[in-house]
Amino acid sequence: MKEWLFLVRRRFRSWATSLLTWLHGAYVAFSQWVRLVRPRLISFLFDWIAWVYLLYAGFSVHHIRTSPTLIWRPEEKFVLPELSPTGWIVVLLVTIELALFVRSFGVSLGQRAFGVSLAPAGGSGTRVAFPRRVLHFLASHLALASLGLPVLVNPERPWHERVAGVVLVPRARGASRYRPWWTSAYALTAAVLIGVTVALGWAVTDIQLGALVRDVGKPARLWRGLSRPDLSYFFTPHPMETDSIFGALVKSLFMALLATVLGAAIAFPLSFLGARNITATGPVGRLVYALTRGFFNVFRSIESIFWASIFAIWVGFGAFAGTIALFLHTIAALGKLYSEQVEHIDPGPVEAATAAGGNRLQVIKQAVIPQVLPPFLAFTLYRWDINLRMATVVGFVGGGGIGLLLKNFKDGGEWTQVGAVIVTFAVTVWLLDFVSGWVRERIV
Amino acid sequence: MAHLVIESLTKIYERGKVRALTDVSFEVERGEFLVLIGLSGSGKSTLLRCVNRLVEPTTGRVVLDGVDVTRLSPRALRRTRRKIGMVFQQFNLVKRSSVLANVLTGRLGYVPTWRALLGRFPKEDLERARRALSRVGLLEKMYARADELSGGQQQRVGIARALMQEPELLLADEPVSALDPATSHSIMQYLEQMNREDGVTVLASLHFLSLARRYGTRIIALKDGRIVFDGPPGAIDNAKFKEIYGEDAEEVEVR
Ligand SMILES: Nc1ncnc2c1ncn2[C@@H]1O[C@H](COP(=O)(O)OP(=O)(O)OP(=O)(O)O)[C@@H](O)[C@H]1O
Ligand SMILES: [Mg+2]
Repeated sequence: MKEWLFLVRRRFRSWATSLLTWLHGAYVAFSQWVRLVRPRLISFLFDWIAWVYLLYAGFSVHHIRTSPTLIWRPEEKFVLPELSPTGWIVVLLVTIELALFVRSFGVSLGQRAFGVSLAPAGGSGTRVAFPRRVLHFLASHLALASLGLPVLVNPERPWHERVAGVVLVPRARGASRYRPWWTSAYALTAAVLIGVTVALGWAVTDIQLGALVRDVGKPARLWRGLSRPDLSYFFTPHPMETDSIFGALVKSLFMALLATVLGAAIAFPLSFLGARNITATGPVGRLVYALTRGFFNVFRSIESIFWASIFAIWVGFGAFAGTIALFLHTIAALGKLYSEQVEHIDPGPVEAATAAGGNRLQVIKQAVIPQVLPPFLAFTLYRWDINLRMATVVGFVGGGGIGLLLKNFKDGGEWTQVGAVIVTFAVTVWLLDFVSGWVRERIV
Repeated sequence: MAHLVIESLTKIYERGKVRALTDVSFEVERGEFLVLIGLSGSGKSTLLRCVNRLVEPTTGRVVLDGVDVTRLSPRALRRTRRKIGMVFQQFNLVKRSSVLANVLTGRLGYVPTWRALLGRFPKEDLERARRALSRVGLLEKMYARADELSGGQQQRVGIARALMQEPELLLADEPVSALDPATSHSIMQYLEQMNREDGVTVLASLHFLSLARRYGTRIIALKDGRIVFDGPPGAIDNAKFKEIYGEDAEEVEVR
């Protein structure tokens, strides 16, 4: 009975192994192909997109600057200019020509990014003669017209390169070290790209330095209020509010504390699942590892302010919504930090505990946790710091606490109250920074 | 019946396709002090780790007390591992933990999981830890942090940890390579004592032939993952030495 089970298992294992081996072989062949195709096809796409962007962005800057409706009218909805179909065709053709031209007669941005440049086939020197470059330029058109087929079919030695007697080789390091940057095509393109991007950004974000000095008097009331914080509602609530400043601050402090403690409690066990050296031992382990890390990464990239908006609607405005928002983000952020710490432990003690016959849980308790506990504590304290700051922002969108108070005072134009809240908060953050820094120093 | 039987053991590391061991076979009788020698990279560590399956052998069998270790389920493997003590070149102590906590690690195979998780080891184990520590002369360091100890003291903690397992077989992977000659001898004498007094079979890899000759009852030499010598210490003459370590090697004494 046991014997046949064993045989079946062994049979399955060998079958699974050969499947895995085949998949691995296919993967290796594919990545080899990609490695060859990349510097040719992908780098051309890169060049081409860069030129399209350059042309279109330049056109947009011009359009925004000359359009009378867009200037000085921030309330006007901003739209990027549109091109006519013929305009697009012109852009398409011009950019393709530009990309092919630079690729043939210099080192393009794409070639530089993938670390290749043209060389004569057969390894006779590094300089490519001008006629060969012209041939390469012309033949590239045909290669492109056939949708890159020569490259896809024979990536090692595509037809258009053979015709021109050139080959794309890895760029020699430091080959053009002494050439000024404006003489190389890729550096020039990069400089123009950066310039155009800044110009476009300037136009799109509607930067008007003049506005800074035009209405200096406007925010004066605000400045006056802020510079004279009114602390009379520090302990007794403002007639329009339910919380005093101190009460709201305590709420925020506890929001941050609760989110940190509960988040850390969940992140702690998860972090071992998300550590390659602990979990990723078999195929199942690798899956668990990938899922845990995926969860961390996804939830870390979703900001608390987003969760707060959702939970403010779900469970109602207030500190509860804010706490959940901070809690979710804390799990992911701490989980990732913790996992990385677990991955950096000394493997020796783990080996020793395993050799003594410990199971995974025992090994973690005896050999891993003692190594990671102090850094875990430091991360957690640091997170409390962050969470207190985030609690204000989260409060602004309905998460309660001192952020909500700040928003209400601001909306009511009570600038002396706003000043009081800001001063209170700044002092608190400063104190907390000081304390947590002191504690961190003690434990690590 | 031999205590430990290694049958045509081969290990190929997936990463880099390294052939670390090729068709290694030998038998070890109970109570032997077997020393593995060989150049760096000859496969000594791999061989030792295949015995308790810290490294999974590619093919071949490891038979301990008539039980094929390579076929054991994870659970049975853990039960077998507690009979196999191990001492490491880098000591492998948790540096931040106390000496006592490190020594208690040797009981993991015996205590229930919940006890280990709560850190509540049975009274007998604490008593056992005291005995083990006093045997290696470190009783007064019981509550010190492991990284406050010297290298030799740390290795003695490593030996105490192995003693906690009450092992029948002891694997020692270059136990004295990180230590000075005088300390090396004191450590080797603890291993010798375990071998002679407790009847523990010892499998130790050593870098110095002089140490191997002094402590081993039998020597196995590996070269590129194959056995090139298997016999009593006295049988290694100059020619054999050159075969194991290469033509240019000179023998160095550790006194
Ligand atoms: N985890 C691993 N992955 C891949 N190759 C490995 C691994 N561990 C060891 N090897 C290789 O296997 C071979 C044998 O290594 P091993 O550590 O067993 O030798 P050794 O005799 O203990 O050497 P040393 O005296 O340096 O400790 C070496 O070529 C080594 O590079
Ligand atoms: Mg070794």
